[in-house]
Amino acid sequence: MRRSVAITLALAVALAVLAILVILPFWWVMSSSVKATSEIVSTSPTMFPRSFTLEHFEKLLGGSDFPRFLFNSVIVSLASMALTVAFAVLAGYAFFRLRFPGRDLLYRAILLAYAFPGIVVLTPLYGMMSAAGLIDNPLALVIVNVTFAVPFAIWMMRAFLAAVPVEIEEAARLDGASRLIVLRRIVLPLIAPGVASVAIFAFVSSWTEYLFASVLIQTDAHKTIPVGLAGIIGQYQVDWGLMLAGATITTLPVLALFAVIGRYFVAGLTAGAIK
Amino acid sequence: MPIRRSQRLAARREAAFAALLVAPVLAWLGATLLYPLAVSLALSVENVRVIGSVGRFVGLDNYLSVLGSAAFWLALGRSVVWVVGNAVVQTALAMAAALVLEQSFPGVRIARTWIVLTWIVPTIVIVIVWRWLLSTSGGMINPLLIALGVIREPVGFFSTPASAMATLILINSWRWFPFIAVMLLAGLQRIPGELYEAAALDGASRFARFRRITLPLLQPTLFVLTVIGTLLSFNVFDIVWLLTGGGPANATTTLPILIYRTAFKGYRLSEAAAMSVVATVLLMGLALIAVRTLAPREEAR
Amino acid sequence: MRGRNFVFASLVAMLAASAAAQADPVQIRLWHMEQPPQRVARVQQLIDEFNKANPDIVVKQEPQNWGEVYAKAPAAIAAGNAPDILFAIPDFTTVIKGLGALTSVKDFVAKLNEQHHFIPATLRPYEYDGGVWAVPLYNMAISLWYRHSVFDKAGLKPPQTWSEWRKDAEALSKAGLYGAGLPANKQLYTDQTVYATMVNNGAAQLFGDDGALRFDNPKTVEAYAFYKDMFKYSAPDATNWTWGEAEACFDAAKCGTVLQFTVISTYNAQGGDPADLGVAAVPHNDGETASNTIAYSNAAMILAKDPAKRKAAEAFISFLLEPANYGRFLNMEPGLFLPATEDGAKAPSFWNDPLAVKYKSQIETMIANSQNGMLFGFTSGKVFPAIGAISAQNILAGTLQRIVVGGDAPAAAVAAGQKEMQEAAK
Repeated sequence: MRRSVAITLALAVALAVLAILVILPFWWVMSSSVKATSEIVSTSPTMFPRSFTLEHFEKLLGGSDFPRFLFNSVIVSLASMALTVAFAVLAGYAFFRLRFPGRDLLYRAILLAYAFPGIVVLTPLYGMMSAAGLIDNPLALVIVNVTFAVPFAIWMMRAFLAAVPVEIEEAARLDGASRLIVLRRIVLPLIAPGVASVAIFAFVSSWTEYLFASVLIQTDAHKTIPVGLAGIIGQYQVDWGLMLAGATITTLPVLALFAVIGRYFVAGLTAGAIK
Repeated sequence: MPIRRSQRLAARREAAFAALLVAPVLAWLGATLLYPLAVSLALSVENVRVIGSVGRFVGLDNYLSVLGSAAFWLALGRSVVWVVGNAVVQTALAMAAALVLEQSFPGVRIARTWIVLTWIVPTIVIVIVWRWLLSTSGGMINPLLIALGVIREPVGFFSTPASAMATLILINSWRWFPFIAVMLLAGLQRIPGELYEAAALDGASRFARFRRITLPLLQPTLFVLTVIGTLLSFNVFDIVWLLTGGGPANATTTLPILIYRTAFKGYRLSEAAAMSVVATVLLMGLALIAVRTLAPREEAR
Repeated sequence: MRGRNFVFASLVAMLAASAAAQADPVQIRLWHMEQPPQRVARVQQLIDEFNKANPDIVVKQEPQNWGEVYAKAPAAIAAGNAPDILFAIPDFTTVIKGLGALTSVKDFVAKLNEQHHFIPATLRPYEYDGGVWAVPLYNMAISLWYRHSVFDKAGLKPPQTWSEWRKDAEALSKAGLYGAGLPANKQLYTDQTVYATMVNNGAAQLFGDDGALRFDNPKTVEAYAFYKDMFKYSAPDATNWTWGEAEACFDAAKCGTVLQFTVISTYNAQGGDPADLGVAAVPHNDGETASNTIAYSNAAMILAKDPAKRKAAEAFISFLLEPANYGRFLNMEPGLFLPATEDGAKAPSFWNDPLAVKYKSQIETMIANSQNGMLFGFTSGKVFPAIGAISAQNILAGTLQRIVVGGDAPAAAVAAGQKEMQEAAK
């Protein structure tokens, strides 16, 4: 179908609005992070930096353990991601491909878990973690992150598993393959895009988590980025340069990561359509 | 009848295998959600004040005082405003974005990927971004609005109850709409193209095609995402806490904020636990209704 | 054979003994809430020096956030992983003491007092119930900050009374500035500025001697009414302000006057002229004779139970208060933290800091103002446990919000505030 000029124009405008909405705030922040303080607080803001300084970054990196926070965040997020994916694939396969008593009830129960207010379990979980000696231990964050990511991850598996024809599995079963082999050798490769999407979802959920990390972690050595950054920006002084540098340096690795794997996320989600 | 017996055996094996696959998740969630919830329940019938101190059994006193307090109902009301506001803004923005991204144009792949930018950066970054952009000392938005002639004096976006709530809703929706949009996009692409082509041949207008084909076919996805968005936004704590702390004059004190405040600022852990339990019951009730529509049906053999 | 065995055995014993002596230095975990990078770096410097001089002790800092520590410290105490030293402000101490986690440090403080002479106002908020519950480390007091050039240009004189301040603020607002950069956030900073107004109208006492609340009285109402008047001249987003925003407003020359602990380091960082920076006592109501202010004595609590740890913690605190180190400790944020001891107030290590040299007259005024400092709930020599919850819930600031955001009349808001305090105290 060819598009009329009017439609094309409308599309262009809509795209421009969307781009401004998503990108402009980040552009402002990133470009301002290299401005001198006087330019940052000036009453007539500039779209492109007129001054250039790296002093905010120097202050940030010199005075804090930022690389350490970054490293912690990556480790915690990767571990949470791996566990979430494993759980989601296994449970998703059971829920959407197998029949067993109590299936619907259990599935509903897990979906309910998605609605669970995190704040409710904050203090009891703190008690449990400290009884288990996991306070100030990144493992505690992994445990919590998996809990809050896994219900939605299971739900995400549904569409991907639905797109795998039952016949393929049956044929393999008739050839004598065990269920586990079928799941590993046949289903898993077919739902790879879905697994990628779930993985990214789990990673991001963990990457952005603040509440539990702020309570369960106590020392700088184990802080993740959100908590570390919240500490640096502080409460006493508004040092916009420092805050903008912190925001920029936190966003950059995400951009890098997403530049590499980002397309799998959307592609994975829409894969169900392309049979 | 040997066939039936072997069928039964197969069914039992299938169930055993399924149990094996599901057990880890169930154990995990039981330990990290159900058990803590039970602890909260126990806490809610005691009178523990500061976390870590001991209390004694007081029965339903905390529930009575929570349900009888204006602060609780006001916070619940604000939570409703918050949730509805987010659902509307978020879904509308997401729908528009999804419709745009469904079109084909040069660079569409890049756009589809990078739309989720606001969702992948940590909340704390979102907080910094908007605190700065909206501030009267240095931010971009006030000078911009003045230059455009919308306002004459810098305004404080978080300074009146209504504008604080509205601003927070916009920021939170800005953060979440791309995620919903991508899910919607996936739904849109599952609608067979032939349907549109047939309708176009019949001379249906674009709008008619949208209303007659897109909307009805997208409705299940839309519904699910709205429900999920609702549940998610109800639980949002960090963005509100870090931007307004529940102010001004409690105007953005939603239920999670009130619970946190009661527990950690008011030193009434047991009362906070009672609020948590009430909130959980409410949310679970809501979710239960929603879940009926999400349970597996035709996908299973 | 036997001889060799004996030698071998004693060698093993010696090795084991020396290993025990070396491998087991006393570990001290220190929690403080001075998170800005430069402050953490300065504290680390001092810790490194201390650890080097005391090989049998290892101090480690774990900086926390004031917003979270009220939840985190009690939780950590309950879980048995409390820090050994925890920095405190007076109301926070009542909370920790309420958990039974504190032992009096009366003897230790008496010993330090002989050496360094604590300024009485810094010690007072920690002396009650027959004990001393923390060791004062530094003092902070609110002053009024302005620019000489701005006042000169407008033909104004720095205000001493409320009516002068009001007139000045009005004049400055006409000149395009926010005449009075006052906050109205439900947050500690606003508690402080509100109380700084109350103490200048004879409404310092929150409790009577019997512990009954006396917040709801005409003097308090009058103070709130004045604050409300002045708030007209503040910035539109001041309902969301914490310390930083007020300071930024002043540094950007948008606020004509601010109530603040200090603005020195950021003012200087943005190239301000030391001679232009004015500081004065918080203005008082016209009927009052002198200015008072709010002062926070910050202190260190010792949570460690183990005698060896307590001794190590005391050694570290003594180290900080040594005049040779104390000035460098205070100057982790130059021009903010004021000495809590008399010999510290004279210490070259304090006055030799480049910023202290540049802003000597301002710092002297700050110290003078701090002598008249008071803190809500800690004015009568008796401390009532309710103050912990009243502070933590920011009820003073909440009362102000009822007026400037909710539009309540001051009298009604103060009455509601008192009710809220009673509720919190229950």
